[in-house]
Amino acid sequence: MTKEWILPKGHLSYWLRQLRNTASLIAPLRVDGDIVFKSLENIHEVSLDNPALLPSPKEFLFPQQESLFWVEDGTKVRQLYNNEKRFVFGVRSCDISALRLLDRFYLEGYEDPYYSLRRKNTVFISIVCNNPDPTCFCIGLGTGPYLEKGFDIQLTDLGDRYFVQAGNTKAIRIIRQWKFLFNKPKRVDYEDQYEVFLSSKARFQKRISLENVREYILAGKVKDSFWGSVTERCFECGGCVYECPLCTCFTVTDRVYSFGIDRVRLWDTCLFKGFTRMAGGILPNEKKILRTKRWYYHKLIHYPDVLGGFGCVGCGRCTVTCPGKIDMATIAIKLRDLQDND
Amino acid sequence: MTKTYRNIYIPERTEIKEKLYLTGDVCLFRVESERPFEYNPGQFFMVSLWGAGEVPISVASLSNKRREIEFCIRRAGKVTSAIHELQEGNFLWIRGPYGKAFPLEYAIGRDVLIVGGGIGLAPLRPVLQWGLQNKNSIKKISLLYGARTPEDIIFKEDLQEWAEKGINVVLTVDRPGDGWDGNIGLVTTLWHKAEIDFKDAVSFICGPEVMIKAAIKDLFFFGMPEERIITTLEAHMKCGVGKCGHCYNGEKYICTDGPVFTYKEIKEFNLL
Amino acid sequence: MIAMDKILTVCPYCGCGCGLYLHVDRGRLVGVSPSKSHPVNRGSLCVKGWNAHEFVIHPDRLLSPMIKDKGEFRECTWDIALDYVAHRLMEIRDRHGPDSIGILSSAKCTNEENYLMMKFARAVVGTNNIDHCARLCHSSTVGGLAAAFGSGAMTNSISEIRDAKVLFVIGSNTTEQHPMIGMHMLDAVDRGAILIVADPRRPQIAEFAHIHLRHKPGTDVALLMGIMHIIVNEGLVDIDFVRRRTENFDTFERILRDFHPHAVERITGVGIEEIRRVARIYAMEKRSMLFYAMGITQHITGVDNVRACANLVMLTGHIGLPSSGINPLRGQNNVQGACDMGALPNVYSGYQTVTNPRARRKFERAWKRKLPLKPGLTVVEMTEAAYEGRLKALYIMGENPLLSDPDLNHVNEAMKRLDLLIVQDIFPNETMQYAHVVLPACSFAEKDGTFTNTERRVQLLRKAIEPLGNSRPDWEIITELSRRMGYDMKYRGTYEIMEEIALLTPSYGGMLHHRLREVHGLQWPCPDVAHPGTPFLHRKKIAKGLGTFITVEFKPPAELPDDEYPFILTTGRIYFHYHTGTMCRRTSVLEREEPECYVEINPDDAEVLHIKDKSQVRVSSRRGSITVFARVTDRTPQGVVFIPFHYSEAAANLLTNAALDPTVKIPEYKVCAVKVEPLIKEDRRPRSIKIVDLEDLRIT
Repeated sequence: MTKEWILPKGHLSYWLRQLRNTASLIAPLRVDGDIVFKSLENIHEVSLDNPALLPSPKEFLFPQQESLFWVEDGTKVRQLYNNEKRFVFGVRSCDISALRLLDRFYLEGYEDPYYSLRRKNTVFISIVCNNPDPTCFCIGLGTGPYLEKGFDIQLTDLGDRYFVQAGNTKAIRIIRQWKFLFNKPKRVDYEDQYEVFLSSKARFQKRISLENVREYILAGKVKDSFWGSVTERCFECGGCVYECPLCTCFTVTDRVYSFGIDRVRLWDTCLFKGFTRMAGGILPNEKKILRTKRWYYHKLIHYPDVLGGFGCVGCGRCTVTCPGKIDMATIAIKLRDLQDND
Repeated sequence: MTKTYRNIYIPERTEIKEKLYLTGDVCLFRVESERPFEYNPGQFFMVSLWGAGEVPISVASLSNKRREIEFCIRRAGKVTSAIHELQEGNFLWIRGPYGKAFPLEYAIGRDVLIVGGGIGLAPLRPVLQWGLQNKNSIKKISLLYGARTPEDIIFKEDLQEWAEKGINVVLTVDRPGDGWDGNIGLVTTLWHKAEIDFKDAVSFICGPEVMIKAAIKDLFFFGMPEERIITTLEAHMKCGVGKCGHCYNGEKYICTDGPVFTYKEIKEFNLL
Repeated sequence: MIAMDKILTVCPYCGCGCGLYLHVDRGRLVGVSPSKSHPVNRGSLCVKGWNAHEFVIHPDRLLSPMIKDKGEFRECTWDIALDYVAHRLMEIRDRHGPDSIGILSSAKCTNEENYLMMKFARAVVGTNNIDHCARLCHSSTVGGLAAAFGSGAMTNSISEIRDAKVLFVIGSNTTEQHPMIGMHMLDAVDRGAILIVADPRRPQIAEFAHIHLRHKPGTDVALLMGIMHIIVNEGLVDIDFVRRRTENFDTFERILRDFHPHAVERITGVGIEEIRRVARIYAMEKRSMLFYAMGITQHITGVDNVRACANLVMLTGHIGLPSSGINPLRGQNNVQGACDMGALPNVYSGYQTVTNPRARRKFERAWKRKLPLKPGLTVVEMTEAAYEGRLKALYIMGENPLLSDPDLNHVNEAMKRLDLLIVQDIFPNETMQYAHVVLPACSFAEKDGTFTNTERRVQLLRKAIEPLGNSRPDWEIITELSRRMGYDMKYRGTYEIMEEIALLTPSYGGMLHHRLREVHGLQWPCPDVAHPGTPFLHRKKIAKGLGTFITVEFKPPAELPDDEYPFILTTGRIYFHYHTGTMCRRTSVLEREEPECYVEINPDDAEVLHIKDKSQVRVSSRRGSITVFARVTDRTPQGVVFIPFHYSEAAANLLTNAALDPTVKIPEYKVCAVKVEPLIKEDRRPRSIKIVDLEDLRIT
């Protein structure tokens, strides 16, 4: 169920202010030369003319470091929940696509209670990209630059106004709370929105088909020597995993304080050899090449089989962060070239 | 308003009722839980010790009415060493059971071959116990068990009992000491003593990776169908419920897709 | 409190000085992300940076001052602890003189704190006995380059690397120890640069190298002189540069004649052809950058090694231009700053020497105290003085000599003999066991200040969270202590300290906090508030006027292998860990990756000694012995073994030799003689347990 409205640009800051009064509002802000997501103090600081490439909003549902529960006196277990209601404003379509897979991953089977609660308490207001970065390649994956469904609230910048789409009942309720700010869309608005979609698509510099890469790998055409040359350049920083909106691995550790024990979970990386360390020090993935392959296989082979979508939404963050330049886009392009020469 | 979610990560308290050393570094913990747990052979629990961490441990007993669970724990890493320090009456925290169990229904009307190595006998113990309980519906049970030295043989009393109750128990050791006049060598040298019809049998295998690999290869060669060669794999885990990613191997999560796999799956998904 | 705040600050690990955001959720540190606009890391971080948030709130943090009472530490208030320290320090100063007190400052603390510590030592205590760990890593650089050029720092900038045509990396495991600099190097290689690596081991960077010279450990002077010999012989010298900008070339050239390629080949084990190729490639391309790190400096010939590098750069005229120069890669996040601030026994801030009466008068006027005349003791000399009883008190801020110094058994004894040992740190460390007083300090996330990275970039460190427990920022502790010793230091914030530094330090003249806030820091020299900073040094003119060719001779390492100790031990760091492990070993992911100490040994050597991969071995030198796991790998050449020094449970520095470079007293960490023996693993036998009689088990 999708409902549409028009929000005149002049109404945006008023609306944001209202949102902030009901819950905490997180938005992209320009600070110290970068754009980061943080709690919004001054509404006018929101930076929407930014490049598409923002930090992943994964951290708002699955924080880098999170206390699971406290244990006092060795017997009393106290659960820690963050019950805060939040609006995350200004995220991009690729990340919303990622959330749809994350939801399946965390909520199906055994439901992760921490993710689940944060997800229920968070409303994402996304913006259609009309100016993709050179590193972006969502267009080949159907995960951007705009979405047909799956978003909470999606805005499209039409110059002097936003085309607003609410994708679920909760979102519709939120818009209706401040109904007087929104107008009914006219025919021209729909046409303008379509125009924006078209021009945005035309601006992409990279078009990558991960489907081809997957088939190429599944056909057994990618030799270990290729993965070897990729692995050689790996700095083992874990940046691709930390930045990826779809990487979910974590480790758990106990912190023993004098006043209790904190069981904490932290982001972890399958690219490290200790990740699979078994009791007694056996390292099943001691060879670095196995770990590199594992990351790519997990995203390209396993994810589509199990969750119905690639473990990559084409956000291009790994392209920016990888010191060895062996990110998803680069590898996909290299494999495409290899395929062409076959 | 705080809504309480069922939290899969919070373990429940159990009390250690008995701590029995089976070898120098393998100890059987019999714990009593506050509520009854139902679990099946092959499944595992995440066993916690505050401050040390959490490890997956297979059940070494059959689910029973007495709220008792037995875990066979080898002192190997930080957590298991800390657990070994616990005494009877101390608390051990568990959550589970997790993972797929052994498909015991395959055994109905067939010969059952159980192949164990070292501490790998522990997850197979409930299978044997089940076998004895359901003796009438299965044909014959053979156990081939190998350990490093005679001292490393675990569940010695059980082995005795099983033998007495009609299971074909075959033991072997790598390094015999004085007073051992049994078999010497790997379990995979003892197939002739299994005395079963390989083509119409089901096998349950657990042990070190090399042993599993060798056993699978041989059994498949003897004509055992690949979906009836069943083994259980070990992996490092942090959650046990398919979220943390540590046990992802080949194309499966050991915790939720396993730990019990058939040879068919192992082959298809490159698990070994 | 702000629900989700992100504060730009500087990574607390290595000298790269990456910009990162600390994520703060209602006053709790929850994560880290890289700055995309930062010129060094450009949106990347290494694994240590990505996990830099975790150790801050580790339960081990020291949260209360403690005084040792009958062999046990007792928590006390700040007043009691500071009064006690002030009282004892004054007592010792009055009875034994100010030079009976030594101070170790810290390359992990901010510029402001190092400056105050230096002021505390000189103006309050009245001694020049102040030093810090730069002595153990780059004192050779400071000494060697200052003499040659007048400035002992990286001449060029990290962001210039990608435009270089030739990269000559000697004695640096760059991709693992300075990963973000390694990233720029890899970028340059991708853009067509030629990478030359000289290292006896085969570090990751060597995988990308076009030429990898594996010379014998400790033969760097010979190798470099051999290269220069060929450059001169083949007429590849930049004669114009040598004539206009340098002096003393003729004397140097005469010495150079001794280093005939054949002799060099014999000494270093590197073939003439290889040396010739390197000489030609390096000399003929104008945009050639030279990098070095501990592999050059931590030798008894450390200063000579650095001088040889400097000579090579001058000979080819690769200095004073972008994408060229001589680039020592500094280890600690603020080791450059700590040196700049004069936390050294012979200089004030900005390398103004204590023996220069004009400099001394300037500081005396500013600080209103008479300052000591003679240079003080260095780190290793302080240990020696403590051992001999000349040094009575030691005040250590953020250092751990009981793991980082060479020949630990000796250091141990020295620390025991002190009348007063003050340890000021964020975590308990090995040195603390002998401390009389422990003062809890704040981590990088809890304080303001500036760090200076390896490319001389002075950057703002910003406070992200409130100090944990009762801990205090180091600069506050120093001012409080100083007040109690009768010298008032009044600063409302670190920016006021920086103002004082700018006033007294020419190269920091324009480094005011509000300027650093606007950009990702400024590179010194930055003499006034309008100056934009200096990306590369010696432009148009060498800093000290003319560059000086200093003659060097080849000397073999102090301890060479013999029949009893047949291996050369070289020590170093590994990617996942950092120095004495205070921070990284309290970070779960990092500690999990490399939880145990190991020794790298060549497969051929391992076979002869019957050592299997991952088996336990004993490594011993004339000074001590440790038990570690063997890692059989051809990364290490035959005859050489490598041990990381992070592990207190198997401290490599129990083995190392405290032989010092005669000029700057840097110990020779990179070469000493050891023997390696396999250990037969004890079989763990059953402990009195219920075992069924074996007789019963003969079932089959």
